[in-house]
Amino acid sequence: MIRFSDVTKSYNDDVVIKDISLLIEKGELAYITGPSGAGKTTLLKLIYAAEKPDKGQIVVAGWDIGKLKQSTIPYLRRNVGIVFQDFRLLNNKTVFDNIALALRIHDMHPKEIKKDVNAVLKEVHLSHKSQIYPQHLSGGEQQRVVIARAMVSKPTVLLADEPTGNLDDKTSDSIMDLFREINAIGTTVLLATHDTSLFQGTGRRVIHIKNKQIAGEEIG
Amino acid sequence: MRTFIYSVQTAYKSILRDKWINLLTILSISICLLIISAFVTITMNMDSLLNRWSKSFGLVVYLDDSLNSEAENTLKEFFQKDPDIIGVKYISKEDALEELRLVLGSNAEIIEGLKENPLPSSFELKLKSELLDSEFVKQKAAEITNMTGVEEVQYGEKWLSSLNTISRIMKLSATFLGTAIFIAIIFITYNTIKIFFYRRNDEIETLKLLGATRGFIRLPFLIEGLFIGIISGIIGSLALYGIQSFILIKGTEVLPAIRAMIITFPLEVYLSVPIAGAIMSFTGSLIAVGKIKY
Ligand SMILES: Nc1ncnc2c1ncn2[C@@H]1O[C@H](COP(=O)(O)OP(=O)(O)O)[C@@H](O)[C@H]1O
Ligand SMILES: [Mg+2]
Repeated sequence: MIRFSDVTKSYNDDVVIKDISLLIEKGELAYITGPSGAGKTTLLKLIYAAEKPDKGQIVVAGWDIGKLKQSTIPYLRRNVGIVFQDFRLLNNKTVFDNIALALRIHDMHPKEIKKDVNAVLKEVHLSHKSQIYPQHLSGGEQQRVVIARAMVSKPTVLLADEPTGNLDDKTSDSIMDLFREINAIGTTVLLATHDTSLFQGTGRRVIHIKNKQIAGEEIG
Repeated sequence: MRTFIYSVQTAYKSILRDKWINLLTILSISICLLIISAFVTITMNMDSLLNRWSKSFGLVVYLDDSLNSEAENTLKEFFQKDPDIIGVKYISKEDALEELRLVLGSNAEIIEGLKENPLPSSFELKLKSELLDSEFVKQKAAEITNMTGVEEVQYGEKWLSSLNTISRIMKLSATFLGTAIFIAIIFITYNTIKIFFYRRNDEIETLKLLGATRGFIRLPFLIEGLFIGIISGIIGSLALYGIQSFILIKGTEVLPAIRAMIITFPLEVYLSVPIAGAIMSFTGSLIAVGKIKY
């Protein structure tokens, strides 16, 4: 589903990722970990074409990232749900409208949008907050809205960047349960985190990056 | 289609949210459109007035006294065959004298003493109105003067050339002013839409990351620009209509001749100026949104 072949990426001559090769299979749930500044976010950005590799090839759901034309990038992103570290919720739109936006860009019928958004709100246990504006929600609730927005369009790949960044343990657990549920319906899930406690004891694949390269893999 | 409806709703919300900026933009463009449409209307009125004046314009061809009536007829036929000439009127020596007598009125006795009619016979020629260019008329007059049996050709040379100049200046300034104003409209809309675009930058970035196409991102801004242009056009047209009605009503009270001078409400202006305004606003917003990069 996601394949990196000898990928190098640098920001103005600062190499961040060097000759990384990586394969994430369809239906997998995997963790990418490493210290802050290791290049986890950059790796995710390469997957959703917010950055382009300087060298090597990246293929995501059949799309060759390095060769994508500007006009086809939106179509890649519709297959990739993203849980941003900084949420990127629109404060002038309600929870419902924030989530619906991911479907409106598909030219979907309003009735179906309503049905799908309500369904996903139920899954993240936020049905009662659908008409609230994001700034009035707690961190954990906002995080769930972002996850709901990422999954509402039923992407084949779901990426999450530090999804438990500033949440307490109990909230983190419920968020992680959500990812497992999403993965259970066949979505490939890739989680980037510096928090080792997230994957310990999960039995899932954990990829360590250090010094611009893959330092090793383990089962969490 | 649903994207279009959604974009219209988004544009509509944006217009309401920033009603003051939008109102100011619409007013500025309306004033621009009013100026240009008023100017075009004035030019059109002037032009039709000049046209009507030039209809009465004629060349007077004075004939040689020695010419017999046969030769005069030949000349007349020649003028009638000339495609540039649309009217030929013969004025005999006697007619000319009669006219002079009428002009002199009670002083007519001055000419009663004359043994012989001193006035020449003449032709009054009317040229096609599209040929009433001072250079052409000058050349035509010279040609006719050179014909045998023609003594002299007279026409209102100065008058014709100044008429031509006025008409040319009016058209030139209308074109110039029109271009300047349309560029101004592009710029005004550009500015307003650019402000909205910058202010919604965060939202646009998020839309891009969610997989929105360029069209989806652009459309609300373009619709807003178009909407601004159309509303401005309607306001401009209404203002023009108001002003023109006012002039027509108040003006004819003072000077009834005004009615004859004003072409009542040229439909071309009422339709094309707002449409041109809308197109310019649309262009302005198109430039403002620019190329979207992912
Ligand atoms: N847009 C950018 N321009 C320049 N340098 C960047 C940019 N984004 C990230 N970096 C740098 O690249 C390195 C990796 O950053 P990042 O991928 O965010 O790491 P992580 O998510 O693992 O903390 C850091 O040193 C960071 O300063
Ligand atoms: Mg990061």
